[in-house]
Amino acid sequence: MIESGPSVEIINVRKVYPSGDEQRAVLDGASATIRAGERVAILGPSGSGKSTLLNLLSGIDEPDSGTIEINGLDLRSLSENQRTLFRRNQIGFVFQSFNLLPALTVLENLLLPLELIGKTGNEANERARFLLEMVELSKRADSFPDRLSGGEQQRIAIARAVVHEPSLLLADEPTGNLDEDTSHRLMERLEDLLTSGKTTLVVVTHSRDLADRMDRALALDHGGLVEY
Amino acid sequence: MRLLNKASVRYLKQHRLQSVLSLLGVALGVAVVLSIDLAIQSARIGFQVSAETVAGLATHAIQSDRGSIDEDFFTRLKLDLNITEAAPVVEGLVTSTSLPGRTLKILGLDPFSEGPFRPYTSGNSPSLDVNQFITTQGGVILTEELASEGGLTTGDSIVIFSSGVRWALPIVGLFQSEDRLTRSGLSDVLVMDISGAQEVFGMVGTLTRIDLRILDSERSYERTIGEITDNLPSGLRLENVGTRSETMAGMIRAFDVNLTALSLLAIVFGMFLIYNSMTFSVVSRRTSFGRLRALGVTRNEILRLILREAFWVGTVGTVIGLALGVFLAQGLIGLITQTINDLYFALSVREISIDTVSLLKALTMGIGATVISSLPPALEAAGSTPRAASTRSIIESKTRRVIPMLAWSGLALCLLGWLVLLLPTRSLSVSFISLFAIITGMAAITPLGTVVLIEFVQPILSSFFGTLGSMAARGIRTTLSRTAPAIAALVIAVSVTVGLGIMINSFRGTLINWLDGTLQADIYVSLPGPQASRASGTLSDSLIKDFVSADGVVGYSTYRAVDVIRAEDTYRLVALELDQRGEGAFDFQSGDSDAIIRDFQLGRGAIVSEPYAYQRQLDVGDSISLAGEKSARSLPILGVFYDYGSEQGTIIVSRDVYNTAYNDDGVTSLGLFLGDSSQSDGVVQDLLDNVPVGREVTVRSNATLRSASLEVFDRTFKVTGVLRLLTFIVAFVGVLSALTALQMERTHELGLLRASGLTPAQLWRLVVGQSGLMGLIAGVLAIPVGILLSIVMINVINKRSFGWSIQMQIDPEVIIQGIALAFFAALLAGIYPAFRMANTSPSVALRRIGE
Repeated sequence: MIESGPSVEIINVRKVYPSGDEQRAVLDGASATIRAGERVAILGPSGSGKSTLLNLLSGIDEPDSGTIEINGLDLRSLSENQRTLFRRNQIGFVFQSFNLLPALTVLENLLLPLELIGKTGNEANERARFLLEMVELSKRADSFPDRLSGGEQQRIAIARAVVHEPSLLLADEPTGNLDEDTSHRLMERLEDLLTSGKTTLVVVTHSRDLADRMDRALALDHGGLVEY
Repeated sequence: MRLLNKASVRYLKQHRLQSVLSLLGVALGVAVVLSIDLAIQSARIGFQVSAETVAGLATHAIQSDRGSIDEDFFTRLKLDLNITEAAPVVEGLVTSTSLPGRTLKILGLDPFSEGPFRPYTSGNSPSLDVNQFITTQGGVILTEELASEGGLTTGDSIVIFSSGVRWALPIVGLFQSEDRLTRSGLSDVLVMDISGAQEVFGMVGTLTRIDLRILDSERSYERTIGEITDNLPSGLRLENVGTRSETMAGMIRAFDVNLTALSLLAIVFGMFLIYNSMTFSVVSRRTSFGRLRALGVTRNEILRLILREAFWVGTVGTVIGLALGVFLAQGLIGLITQTINDLYFALSVREISIDTVSLLKALTMGIGATVISSLPPALEAAGSTPRAASTRSIIESKTRRVIPMLAWSGLALCLLGWLVLLLPTRSLSVSFISLFAIITGMAAITPLGTVVLIEFVQPILSSFFGTLGSMAARGIRTTLSRTAPAIAALVIAVSVTVGLGIMINSFRGTLINWLDGTLQADIYVSLPGPQASRASGTLSDSLIKDFVSADGVVGYSTYRAVDVIRAEDTYRLVALELDQRGEGAFDFQSGDSDAIIRDFQLGRGAIVSEPYAYQRQLDVGDSISLAGEKSARSLPILGVFYDYGSEQGTIIVSRDVYNTAYNDDGVTSLGLFLGDSSQSDGVVQDLLDNVPVGREVTVRSNATLRSASLEVFDRTFKVTGVLRLLTFIVAFVGVLSALTALQMERTHELGLLRASGLTPAQLWRLVVGQSGLMGLIAGVLAIPVGILLSIVMINVINKRSFGWSIQMQIDPEVIIQGIALAFFAALLAGIYPAFRMANTSPSVALRRIGE
């Protein structure tokens, strides 16, 4: 893990998707700089390319043109395998639909990112259980995800995203499925987990409240990124 | 990756039915291949052990085509040529009323010459009282097992029939060999003194062969061989013992290759099944794999995970298959030895030999096939991006894009297979590789065929069954990544069933036509032979005289058959004294039949069967040679006739020509022609009534012989029938597995339909209807494929295997059966998922987390 979260440079990024017979540019010349350790919200209406941007930042997808640099490292210069290893080691991702693995228990879902970076045994177990306590789900450690409510799954998804102490945390509508109170509590927990300031946080959201909790907010507008 | 492995195991456990079906598919595929391999190996080993035990330590043997050597030559060999290690042998097959259904071999030996050859019969053997053996007329010794099987013991008599004559042979001793192989080799052997055997076989003064022991290490080896060869009378030859056994074993090569190829189909189906299972397993976890990729699991790790899973499924399935295969082989060995007995040579194998090589082969094949067939879905899962892996529509649209390319590749593969078939080779392996290429090519064309048929069917279903009908059809097309492999597997299974059905029917039809033309006489007389498909032994002169002069008989043909087994060639030689009334019995490939028969009757040449000419690449005008005791001569081939009686091929010469070469007046069987006013059945009864007591003779009317021949044919194809059934079961398990997985994967979608107001009955109809529709599509697509396969099997595989021309006959019943089979198999496969879905609460179905 690096001492302080990485800086993120988004330079003139363009991403196009086929739409029927035509091509639709979801991102078109998007540029922004996110400083190390900064907490940034990305706002925008549905279909504006928020999730696409997170996929590009995580290396899950590649831009058609433009550059994304994380701490000076151009993701496009990495091979598919290198990008996967980069993601494994540096990135935590809270997916909009939780993306928990149904064949693993709650505890095992948290242990997996640790196992992927080579942490196993007691140390890993303690770290996973600590996070379960933080999200108040210790009692559900041995449950399978399909036995949890939406809110509980969301909390596990957040715990899993931070369990391996990533330097860059990407969260896609982390409170999208929750009511206001639960959202507040959840974000407080997330902030608790990130108090060390070592992690750069990029949150995609519709919620103004959530955006207000961040250091600053960017908005997606006609494929570009602007200060909100 | 402990947790990833754990997730794999959990997935297999959660999808128990799916996992069990996968295991069953591998297990059945392996079991079929192993059982055929073991049964054939056991037959081979049984033959080998028997041949080696009977030959003992002999290195060479002096043989004649007819198995008849003047015993004076043995004396000359010993006294004039000073060959000390030589043993005379008289050998023949008999049946016994004490051991019904068994073919026994009588081995007539001279105990005083036996010392260096067969330790179990030499004068030093503890189980043999030589004095009693020689002095008891017709005394035999046999193994304890054989005796107890017939409820016999020392002092009893065993009743046998040789050339239709009854003999009661006293048992003078029992073999008590410690050696299991010796006991097994002698399991159907009665050993008796040579003079007794000569009497039983009517061979007084002659021997079947002379065994020799000439060791390669001896300095005089070449000289001894040379001396013997130089002094051999006409018609005799010196052969290496091993070579003769190999030649005989080689006779079942085509039979062996065909069965093995058929059993390999089971593995191909098994591979389809595994491919299906693994594809479903991967497709249904695509979201999970996408999540793992998003979390940082690399492509190679995903690939290894899936292949590891396949390896374990393959290993467990294969181990079950090995046990199942051994069990199945026990059942098949009887059918296979029966066919070998009917078509090739007398063989009795009671138990299978489990040989390690066969087990290892099946193990490697089972695990290898599983892992290989998992490779495409594994690569697919590993190769996709984390985003694509989690998007179902991407997979389906990719599948739709691939379909035309797949169809073109399939077409190319079919053409390639066809071109390879046209190569001027007679290799069976090449033919089967081509056949497999065509089958695989056809499977690749199936998805396009499915799309085309759905386009056609959807409006019809829509107008009859409304939205549900339309949904059933559209559902197949929109989930082609999963429905196409299932339909392809069913198409292949049904097409093979249809292809084999057409081939067997065509063969049977051709045989019936052939029998109608060939069986010209009204009554056939032969000795009850140990082998069903051929007459053997020699009819007595007095019997022949009585029969040909019986009331109602106006003419006759005589038939003498000798199976010539030489190291360089194996065929049947027939001497025919042909009555004018029987001249229409031959259907020649070319030429004027009347002219050919006229020349044949005048002894101007020989006629040969189609397999004989095909296998040796001979034609009319080429020559064949006869090397008998009297003379050796060369004869031109006058005509090539269609014949389905012998796979090795037959040479027929007139009786006069035969008599110039061989010192043999015997007749194997007789064809009697009746006057117009005589009834076959009445004459048959009259003839049987005149058979002296203590003799057995088979007298059959034309119609009875015809139906007996067809019985042998049907028995021969029993093994094929069993294999056809087994391969279909494997394919059915595949379809069951695929359809179950397909419908299970739709839980969420079907839950939505239930939540939207679809009743359980409607849901049931939708699921079962969709399965049935898939079966119907498979059935329709399987018909042209099946016909194509039958064309290849009849015109190429059969021709190269046996050299027979078969007229193709497409029976509508086979076609209807094929379509019905596919339809009902699929319908059946849809029942369980339909039941489960219809009984699942919509809320439960909707709650399930997408995997």
